[in-house]
Amino acid sequence: MRLLVVEDESLLRQQLEQGLGREGYVVDGAEDGKSGLYYATEYEYDAAIIDLGLPEIDGIALIRQIRADGRQMPILILTARGDWQDKVAGLDAGADDYVVKPFQLEEILARLNALLRRAAGFAKPKLEFGPLALDISAKRLTVNEQAVDLTAYEYKMLEYLMLHPGQVISKSELTEHLYAQDYDRDSNVLEVFVRRLRQKLDPDQTLRPIETVRGQGYRFNLNVT
Amino acid sequence: MRVDKCGRDIEPMSKIAGNSTYSLQSRLLLAFSALLFFFLGLTGIILDRAFRNSVEAGAVERLQVQIYLLLSTVEEDDGEFYFLEDLQEPRFSQLNSGLYGFISSPAYGVLWRSDSARTFVMPDPEFFANRLAVGDTRFRRLDSVGAEVYFALSYGILWEDGIREYSFSVVENAAPYYSEIANFRTSLWSWLGGVAVLLLLIQLALLRWGLLPLHRLAVDLKKIEAGQRDKLEGSYPKELEGVTDNLNLLIESERKQQSRYRTTLADLAHSLKTPLAVIGGLLPRSAPDSGAGSTLPDKVQLQAVNEQLDRMNQIVSYQLQRAMRSEKASTLSRQVNASRTLRRILDALQKVYADKSIALDYQVDPKALFFGDERDLMEVLGNVLDNAFKYGRSAIWVSLQKTGSDGRGLRITVEDDGAGIEEDKQNFVLQRGARADTLVQGQGIGLAVVTDIVGSYAGEIRVEDSQLGGARILIEFNSNLTTGSNE
Repeated sequence: MRLLVVEDESLLRQQLEQGLGREGYVVDGAEDGKSGLYYATEYEYDAAIIDLGLPEIDGIALIRQIRADGRQMPILILTARGDWQDKVAGLDAGADDYVVKPFQLEEILARLNALLRRAAGFAKPKLEFGPLALDISAKRLTVNEQAVDLTAYEYKMLEYLMLHPGQVISKSELTEHLYAQDYDRDSNVLEVFVRRLRQKLDPDQTLRPIETVRGQGYRFNLNVT
Repeated sequence: MRVDKCGRDIEPMSKIAGNSTYSLQSRLLLAFSALLFFFLGLTGIILDRAFRNSVEAGAVERLQVQIYLLLSTVEEDDGEFYFLEDLQEPRFSQLNSGLYGFISSPAYGVLWRSDSARTFVMPDPEFFANRLAVGDTRFRRLDSVGAEVYFALSYGILWEDGIREYSFSVVENAAPYYSEIANFRTSLWSWLGGVAVLLLLIQLALLRWGLLPLHRLAVDLKKIEAGQRDKLEGSYPKELEGVTDNLNLLIESERKQQSRYRTTLADLAHSLKTPLAVIGGLLPRSAPDSGAGSTLPDKVQLQAVNEQLDRMNQIVSYQLQRAMRSEKASTLSRQVNASRTLRRILDALQKVYADKSIALDYQVDPKALFFGDERDLMEVLGNVLDNAFKYGRSAIWVSLQKTGSDGRGLRITVEDDGAGIEEDKQNFVLQRGARADTLVQGQGIGLAVVTDIVGSYAGEIRVEDSQLGGARILIEFNSNLTTGSNE
């Protein structure tokens, strides 16, 4: 999952980048509204965290411009003032949730998970596809109610595919959402991950949850239950 | 009565505008009426005097003519006077006719009297005794015992022989003249009275027209006070333009000051809370149970630091929210459509709590108004509804009604089906100005801030048990108060 964090306080931004990175998110940081707008309109993100008090372009104007550009990713606002005028203005402008400063990283993670899940159309915190169940809060996969161990990248890939069921996800899109920008993008690594995932999810090859669409990418094929 | 930040009393603007014993209109009307009555009275007296003088002058002329008539026909023989022909004026011959003729000399008194004066008693017997120079006339107004008034005119002559001097006198009853004067007087004062009433009405109309811009100014100021307008609009006469321009500047400057105050507080909030967030991020929430560097004192210290951090955060949040709203001692409130604000808050909260699938039921009067700052209403509705969404399980009921005979009051009811607030804590959470570090855990600072805001508008807030099973928050803003007071 690729996230954009727009926060002018560099220490706080670094903390968010590191904390979210530890949780498996790929994070781009922007220090003001102007660079935030550049990132948000130039790259694809799964969600954005935007502080309301930003230099250059303030948070509310930034959210409006992102929405005006047609970007639909969930946006979480950070507000220091915490009054309802700000919260409502931010939500009116197009944000989806708010967190009042100071906050705990756990709170941000919980809100982000809920937003990502909601954006993918899931009401419950667990994504269930037949015998497969992915708890994105606990980052835990079960097959037939048996826990399955996944590496961080395997989990990230499966989560992304399960949040976009039925859609063909290209290898480049997967790479962008799984790796930081400066990562050496080798599509062979993705193929290795997919092969390992297939073995862990469907050792008998009866479900075939991840389909390879020739020349286009991968598709998660199971139906939501 | 409200007080400003220095403790001085603040009078409502409308009271200041009308705070004098007499209104401008009464003052002008009173002064102009006094002037009008003085000049009309003086005019009446002068005209009355002039007419009276003119009537008396006319009487003198007529009496003079009568004397010439007597002179032209009288003959004297050995001290006896007789007339060559009948007197042309028949009233001389008719007894007590009201016109009497006399011929007298200072030495012998009355030598002849007309037939009409046979029984007439001269009111002033001395009248004939005084010598009158030849060719002179003497006019007298004689008051008799019987309240009759007479005009008397004497004319001194030298007889043909050049030796004897006589006085020819004519006395006439003055009643017809005074009757004429009385008629004139009645007519004169009636007309003057009519003119006075007409002038007063015209003056009243002119005053109202002249003072109309001031009335408009007072009405506009009242509208600003009631929150129906932002500033004085429209054109005023140039004499008032200076005042209205300055008032607009004053209003604008007060609003700018409020805005500056909020911006400063927002900056302060940002600059305090962001470092708090950084510190919070640097500290782990709890020390690992095992590990080389983890000792019991470390855990205790970490817990203490975290607790102090939470406390600082709560105090900063609570005091900043209080400070941000306590600046609104403004007399210039605004009129806020409460249902529109409620709609915005509900839209925002439904977005945030989309996962909870709360069944929201509400009864909202679309014309319900809040007289005050919209930020205050947003804080009240936002905090109360946020609690309802947070603690409610599946259902929320919201009601917004206008109250009071003038419809300027507002009643807000919010109910949820959550766990509710225990009875012994219901009063505690509503204590005004409860210190942040003594607030009930889980209630956050929301209800304490709401209680502060409601209290500053002299409103009421109650926490009860809802029929839905959770808490029922009832807030009433009174109709007779339009603006919040300073803390």
